[in-house]
Parts: sequence; C-alpha cells; structure tokens
Amino acid sequence: MSDTVPLTTDNPGPVASATPPARGRSRWLSDRRLAVAFIAPALLLLLAMSVFPLLWALYLSFTDYSATRGGPAHFVWFENYTAILTSAQVHLRALTTLIYVVGAVVLQTVLGFTIAYLISRRTHGRGLLTTLFLVPMMLSPVVVGLFWRFMLDAQFGVINSILGSLGLGQVEWLTQQRTALISLIVVDTWQWTPFIMLIALAGLTAVPKYLYEAASIDRASEWFRFRTITLPLVWPLLLIAVLFRAIEAFRLFDLVYILTNGGPGVSTETLSFHVYKVAFLGFNTGTASAYGILMVLVVIVLTQLYLRYLNKLKED
Amino acid sequence: MQLATAALLLMATTVAACGDGQDNDAKASAPKAPATIPELTKDPLTLSFIWFEWPPAQALEAFANEEYKKVRPNATIKVNTVPNANWHDAMFTQFAAHKTDFDIAILDSQHIGEAVTNGNILDLTDFVKNNIDVAAYNPYLLAAYGQFPQAETGRRDENASLYGLPLLGDTWTMIYRKDLIGDKPPQTWDEMISAAEKCQADNPGVSGLSFHQANGSDAAAVTYNTVNGIYGGNLWDAKTRKIDGVMNDAAGQEAMDVLVNKMKPLTAKGSGNWFIDEVNASVAQGKACIAFNWIAASGGLLDPKESTLGKTREQILDKLGFATLPTQKTNLVPLGGMGMHVSAYSSAANQAEALNFMKWFEQPDIQKKWAAAGGVPSRTDALESPEFLNAGPFNKVYADSVPRMRDMWNVPEYARLVDIENTNVNAALNGAKKPKEALDDIAKEQQSVLDSGSRKGGGGL
Repeated sequence: MSDTVPLTTDNPGPVASATPPARGRSRWLSDRRLAVAFIAPALLLLLAMSVFPLLWALYLSFTDYSATRGGPAHFVWFENYTAILTSAQVHLRALTTLIYVVGAVVLQTVLGFTIAYLISRRTHGRGLLTTLFLVPMMLSPVVVGLFWRFMLDAQFGVINSILGSLGLGQVEWLTQQRTALISLIVVDTWQWTPFIMLIALAGLTAVPKYLYEAASIDRASEWFRFRTITLPLVWPLLLIAVLFRAIEAFRLFDLVYILTNGGPGVSTETLSFHVYKVAFLGFNTGTASAYGILMVLVVIVLTQLYLRYLNKLKED
Repeated sequence: MQLATAALLLMATTVAACGDGQDNDAKASAPKAPATIPELTKDPLTLSFIWFEWPPAQALEAFANEEYKKVRPNATIKVNTVPNANWHDAMFTQFAAHKTDFDIAILDSQHIGEAVTNGNILDLTDFVKNNIDVAAYNPYLLAAYGQFPQAETGRRDENASLYGLPLLGDTWTMIYRKDLIGDKPPQTWDEMISAAEKCQADNPGVSGLSFHQANGSDAAAVTYNTVNGIYGGNLWDAKTRKIDGVMNDAAGQEAMDVLVNKMKPLTAKGSGNWFIDEVNASVAQGKACIAFNWIAASGGLLDPKESTLGKTREQILDKLGFATLPTQKTNLVPLGGMGMHVSAYSSAANQAEALNFMKWFEQPDIQKKWAAAGGVPSRTDALESPEFLNAGPFNKVYADSVPRMRDMWNVPEYARLVDIENTNVNAALNGAKKPKEALDDIAKEQQSVLDSGSRKGGGGL
C-alpha cells in the first residue's frame, strides 16, 4: 500500500528569484489599439481577397467591361441583369442545375444517413469503417472525374464491361442526354456521401443512450425509437450538412468540366459552367460578373430561408 | 464612421482600377515589332512557348533545344503545355492580365483576330519584309498562320499585316484499314461511306468510322465544317458577315444530314465524346475501318508499343493506309496547324530572342530538319524535300492537301462561334437535337454573336 500523497508540504521549495515586475504597457498601446493590431492582418487579407473582389465584381456587373478588350467600362446599369434573367439559355442551365442539386443532395442524404445509422449500431470496427468510407471525400474532384470518365467509357470502361458480363447491353453513360446527368449525380454522390455520413454519425453518437434505454423498458419498437428519438435529434444537424452540400452542388464546375464538358450539347451545363464560358470564351466580364452576383444572391436568399427554418425547428 | 472610411477606401481603389482601364484603351492595337532584330543578350535566357499537350509540343522542345542551342548556346527553349480544352483560356487570361509567362504564343489560326484586336501580339509585317523569304511559302499558308484581317481561302493579301509565322502545318488524313477495305482508298465521300458500311458488316466488333465528335475544343465543329466543305457548303459570307442563310442553306443541310444520318450510325457506341486520342486509340486497337484525324497527331499510330495491328512499323503499315480526304462536290480539306506569335507583354530581351528564333526557324535547312524531327513545315522547298516526304507515310498526304485547304472564321468572336457550333453539332451527333434544328440554331446564334457589338449589356449569353 503506497503512502498517500500529502496535499500540502512544509517545504516551500526554492525561493522565487526577485525578478522585477513586468514593465507597464505604453500608454499609447491601449487594449483597443492592441486588438486592432492583432486583427488588422487578417482583416486586410479578407478585404483584399474577398471583399474587394466582390465589390469590384459588383461594380463590373453594371458595365460592359471586357478583361481582354480593355478600354473604359461603360455603365449599362441593369442591362446585364435583365439579359441574364430573361435569357432562355440561362433558364435551361438553371433547370439543369436544379435537377442536379436536388438529385445529388437527396441521394447523398439518404445514403449518407443510412450508412451512418448502420455504422452507429456497430460496436467493433466503427473507426476503420468510417475511415474507409471517407476516402472518396479526400480525393481531388479532377482525379475523381478522370477515373470515373475512364470507368464510364462506353467502349473501354469497367462499368460496361461488368454489365456485359451480366448479359446486359452497353450504356452510353456520358454521351446521352439523360444518362449524362445521372452519371454526374452518381459520381458526385460517390464522392460526397461520406460528408453527410460523417455529420450524421456525429449526430447519432450524440443521442443520449438513456432515451433508448427508457424506450426499451417501454418495449418501443425499433421503428418507433428511430422515428421518435433518433430522427428528431439528428435532423437539425443533418439539415446543416444538407445546406453545405446544396451550396457546393449549386456551384458545381469541375466534375462537369472533366466528365461531360457540358454535353451532349449543353444538356449537362450547369450555371457555374455557363458563367465560365461567358467569362473566358467571350471575355464578357461585365455579364459574367452580373451572373456571378446573381448566383451569390440566390445562395444567400435560400440560405437565409433555410436558417430561419432551422431556428424555428430549434425553438420548437 | 469606420465603416464609412472603409467604404471610401474601397471606392477610391475601385476608381483607381477604373482609371487603369482607360489607360489600356489607348494601346488597343498590336504594337509593331522592330524591322531588324535588336541586339541579343549574352546572359542565359529561357525562351518560353505555350501550346497544348500533344506529341508535336515535345518534338518542338527537343528539336529546338538541340538545334537552336548550336547558334545561341545561352538560350534554353521551354514549351509549356496545357490541356487542349484550356489552350485558348490559358493564353488569353494571361493576355488579359497584360503579363505572360510565355514569349511565343502558338495560336490557332482563328485566334489571331482576337489577339490582334486586343493588342496582345506584335505586328511582324516590317520584320517579315526584312527577314523572311515570303516567296518560299505557299501564299495561303503564310496568310493563314499570320495574316489579319483573314485572307480569302487559298490566297494572301500582300497589303495586309502579318502577326505570325508558320510553326506547324496540319490537315486531316483519312486512315484506312488496307487489310479490310483494300489497298485503294475510297475516292469520293459516298464511296467512303459505302466502304465503311460494308467493312462494319463484314467485321463484327469493328466500327465503320471513327472521327472527332466531342463538344470540347473545336472537335465536333471541325468535323461538320469538313463535311460542309466537301458537300459544297460555306461557313459564312466573309464580306457581308452573314452566317444565317449561308451555313444552313441546302448544301449545309445536306452535309449535316450526311454526318448525322449516314456517318454517325457507322461509329462505335458511346463515341460521341471522342477527340484526337480516342480516334487514335480506336485505330491502334483495330476497332475502326476508316478514321479521320489530324496528321500531326498520327505519328503514334505507327508505334508498335501502342498498337495491336503489328509488332513492327512495317507490319502496321501493311494494315494501315493514309490518304487525302475523299472528294464529293468539292475537294476542300480543313486547315489545321498553328503559327508563332510574339507576346506583346514579354520583356524586350525575350522579344528580341523570339524574333531571332523565328528567323532561324524559317531557314530552309532548319525547316527540313524540323520535318525530319516530326514537324510539318510550311516552306514549299521543305514540303517537297525527301526529309519531309520520307519522314512519315502521312506527310505526302499533307503535301497533296495544301492546295485544297479551307479555314474557319478568323475573327475576334471566334471562341464563341466555335463553341456554338461545337455544342450544337455534338448535340445532333448524340441525339439531343435534330440535325436541321441544330444547324438552324448554329446559324442563328452565330449570326447574333457577329451582329451584336462587343459593347453591350448581356453580351456572351
């Protein structure tokens, strides 16, 4: 049996050296000025890299400026905005983007939550499984796009090869109107389902166990427990994950660029891809700026509505 | 108060940035290159090119470093490459910044108008007069890779300015399986389609045709333009700048019908996004009876390591034939290739080196060596030289095709025109649009691009 450790000691230890007290701060360096000095670098960086470009784009959006043609920017006021909002080309891309966002986010949410639910019920190997599921999310979208492009190739791709060995016909994954958009949704889902899974898993593990224990005592069914305990508690967190994914999906560019280049025709051109073409094929910088500003506005408005819903949910 | 100060600061910066735009307006035309080459630096110097990633880019870097170093040991040549689909953007975003990491831009012939109008490249007219033997070239090749405004097909306007010199000539070659359709290549487009049809029927697993259909770069557009030319169509009336009613006239519609309803059914399933590499792969793997591709990209077809057609170059050549395009109502073929253009934003020392390189490159003996190294020269003497004609089985195809070439539009709006055509032809080839609807849409949308001035709200949609 070991001795108990005394809480106090008579030995005061080495006598503290007689160091002089710290010099008082200069009167000039007040708390407020010190705070400004500390946040100034970050603030300046933010102003230079985010706020100024946004305001600059806002200014350009009211002009006919072209980055390559140079020359003075003439004010056209709301002409760019009117042209974008009334353009049939833009409406077509908006519809494509909407289908893509809804399709991808719904699929990812259902799959991500299901996988998270199944993992949360395991006691062994949960960490390993989670890590394995997260691998697609770690890859660059360009790399993901390139290898899926090879896998989905109608002639040489492994997917059609598997379908062939099962006695099914070849599918033109990337060159037919319907399958091309579905392929984009599937590839995006493959890469980003782990994100939803991760957030959902965090929510699921945070559900207090005593609620389930109480439900077990009441002999509540599995479905009843899921419906009345699990889902309501995880739902707000899941909605935040959905919000992040919806914003990401709304500005999808890289996968489209690599997998379909917007084709066949323009049937998989998203709004971001179209902005890229307006900005860099014709170098219509004013129009592209207005297009970008409108996209930001859409995201801000939808996010606000969404956050209000989340707050309401929290209050309820 | 602080918010107001910040807003004022931002406003001041914005106004200052606007002022910069006004300064740029005064220089919105191509600056002139000196008539004679300025004194060259003795310090080590890297002369940078920008091109897209394909075999000729590596060939140029290796060739130039080996040969140019003999006359300029302090100079190193670097050919920077980007994916083909980014080629235009990579050059013109740097031009927009008025700062380039390249000294020589290798522009497609149709990019010249945009670069000249924006003042991005040097006017070489005086330099060419003093340093280049223009009589040594086929006039149209010299015009196609340097002249602006665009030359009429087959001609050169000697009074027009020159902004570039030829680097690599190119056109399409027909690649056909001698072992499947016979030694003699089809002579007319109709014969070619019949031969492909029969070959496909006789050889299960091998598709009749293989050609560019992708909606990136200018892939599908060049395919349609080729068939359009062969069937007697025109892309536009250059004098009146009229496309609607010209491109979609009866000849244009017949060409689209042939492409979508007769040629497309003979291609492999899922080939609707094929470009240079995919077409080459289909030939190398023995999956196509007849294919069309750029000559400059065809060298790899004879590499036994990349082909299933034979274990040696000779065995492959027993099976593969290369021929000029079949004719139908005309004998037109597409003009490919690119020229060298000096960046207006390069340093004075590098611009001088670039001019010296161009003068050196256009010498007769260097052009022949370039031909032997795998390049396609533009000087007539080099084109007729054994060094060129013996370097590859497709080189004679190029030499024979030179008088038959036709280019697209070389106007500042080119990038948008080609995108409209590319996406619509791709849509027609993949069943997303009916052929007539696609052609009418191309004509209407391209006309609207040409008609709308660049200075207007909503431009580019």
